[in-house]
Amino acid sequence: MHAIQRTFAVTGMLAWRAIILVRRMPSVFIPSLVMPLFILVATSGAFRAIGQLPALGGSSYLAFTIPLATVMGGGFAGVNAGMTLARDIEGGFVDRLISSPAPRISLIAGPLTAAAIRSVFTTTVVLIAGLIGGVGLPGIGGTLVIYLMALGFSAAAACWSMGVALRARSVQSASLMQVVVFVSVFTSVAYAPRPLLSGWLRTVADWNPVTRLLEASRAVEFSGVDWDTLGPGLAAIAIMLAVLGTFALTGLVQLVRR
Amino acid sequence: MTTPAIELPHVSVALALRQTGALARRAVVNTLRFPQAWFPALFFPLILMTIFTGSFGAAPGRLPGFPPVRGFLDFALAGAILQGVLIGGTGAGAFFAADIEGGFLDRLVASPVSRVAILTGRLAGGIVLAVIQALLFIGIAVAFGARVQGGVLGVLIVVVLAALLAVAVGGLGVMLALRTGSAEAVQGSFPLFFALMFFSSAFFPRETMTGWFKTVADLNPISHLVEGMRDQIVVGVDWKAAGIALVIVLALGAVTVGASARALTRRIAGG
Repeated sequence: MHAIQRTFAVTGMLAWRAIILVRRMPSVFIPSLVMPLFILVATSGAFRAIGQLPALGGSSYLAFTIPLATVMGGGFAGVNAGMTLARDIEGGFVDRLISSPAPRISLIAGPLTAAAIRSVFTTTVVLIAGLIGGVGLPGIGGTLVIYLMALGFSAAAACWSMGVALRARSVQSASLMQVVVFVSVFTSVAYAPRPLLSGWLRTVADWNPVTRLLEASRAVEFSGVDWDTLGPGLAAIAIMLAVLGTFALTGLVQLVRR
Repeated sequence: MTTPAIELPHVSVALALRQTGALARRAVVNTLRFPQAWFPALFFPLILMTIFTGSFGAAPGRLPGFPPVRGFLDFALAGAILQGVLIGGTGAGAFFAADIEGGFLDRLVASPVSRVAILTGRLAGGIVLAVIQALLFIGIAVAFGARVQGGVLGVLIVVVLAALLAVAVGGLGVMLALRTGSAEAVQGSFPLFFALMFFSSAFFPRETMTGWFKTVADLNPISHLVEGMRDQIVVGVDWKAAGIALVIVLALGAVTVGASARALTRRIAGG
């Protein structure tokens, strides 16, 4: 079999293995599905009145929260990828794979693919919940942008989490994976648009790439596909993947050379 | 595992108090020794408080129904204290479960330590940590511009409510620890508290909520508890709000501490 074909085949098998964990270990997957829904319902319910502020102009705060929930769902899917890899390192499965002729890159590409598939699933669930709450889909293009932003963040979070797992080589590092993903989302425009942010949060949000993802996703919710926000959103995904992908790959190299 | 019934040791009140003090000291030192035990209880409430303050700073004065308040930091402080105590209380329960897993509880039971002190020691440790936590949060918020309108008496009321809440949450944690014997199971109860907090007025005023969400928040005891603390900070000493919060936290405490005492008795009896 050609090397590229073999890489795809092993990646697909490892992704499938991670996906079927959903059935074997529901305790790992269910929180990553429930939490985005919880964020959607709790945030839009508790802070509903924020939509009445001039910066939001009476817009639906539920519609404003949907991108937060989809991006956060992607983040949880990414963290799951890191936790699965850490468990496989602890359990010796990764050692067996390394000593086999399986392409090394599949160790990262497999869980990454699984995270992407999971993020598509959680985004679909959140969008359905939004429909139930009265927020319609923003057309085919807009809906694809929402999926793309969630998927991009899930890939970035997966690279971050796998990079941590490959270095720490312990499931105990899961809290570090989660905290960074949580903080990166919450120090962006998670709860309010940039004109409403103040103090250090405004400065951090301006530099935080997650801000661009949420803004791209929100723009399609309120005004359709908008290249002024989609461009920075795509650029943010590219930058995060370049940096965090390198972090994961160098972690893999360290593990293989160990 | 069944433990043979052990005759209860007869200890004087003074000795039981000393044993409670020693076990409380152990609980505090144990928590402070492990950053993974105290860090989440400080980090998450403080980061959420600052994020909410940075996000919703424009809400007071501009949103219809938002209660009059100097700034959103003043408003958010009580929610942060409550959240910290809930996380800390869950952690205390998890430590008790770890004591069970590690055999420390069995050694205590086999020793002439007062049975009451086993429970009160853990709960008193929770009180000390909650008091430290509440004072620390108030200190940090004041350093960043918050003001407690109730002054020293207001701070005292907030700290007392936080301490009593630590007893109620600690009681629940100990009960879960005794029933499951698993630190993981006790930690697993935190999402319940997290949900209770979000479906309350812990982070935003009930006056701005509508529909079923407002009904849930109205019925949620956490709303009245946090408002009892918040009024001391944003309004001034408010005995009515403090009294309602006190009744709620005492009722919660009576239920959870009673349940944990029954669970301990059953465990000692080998049930």
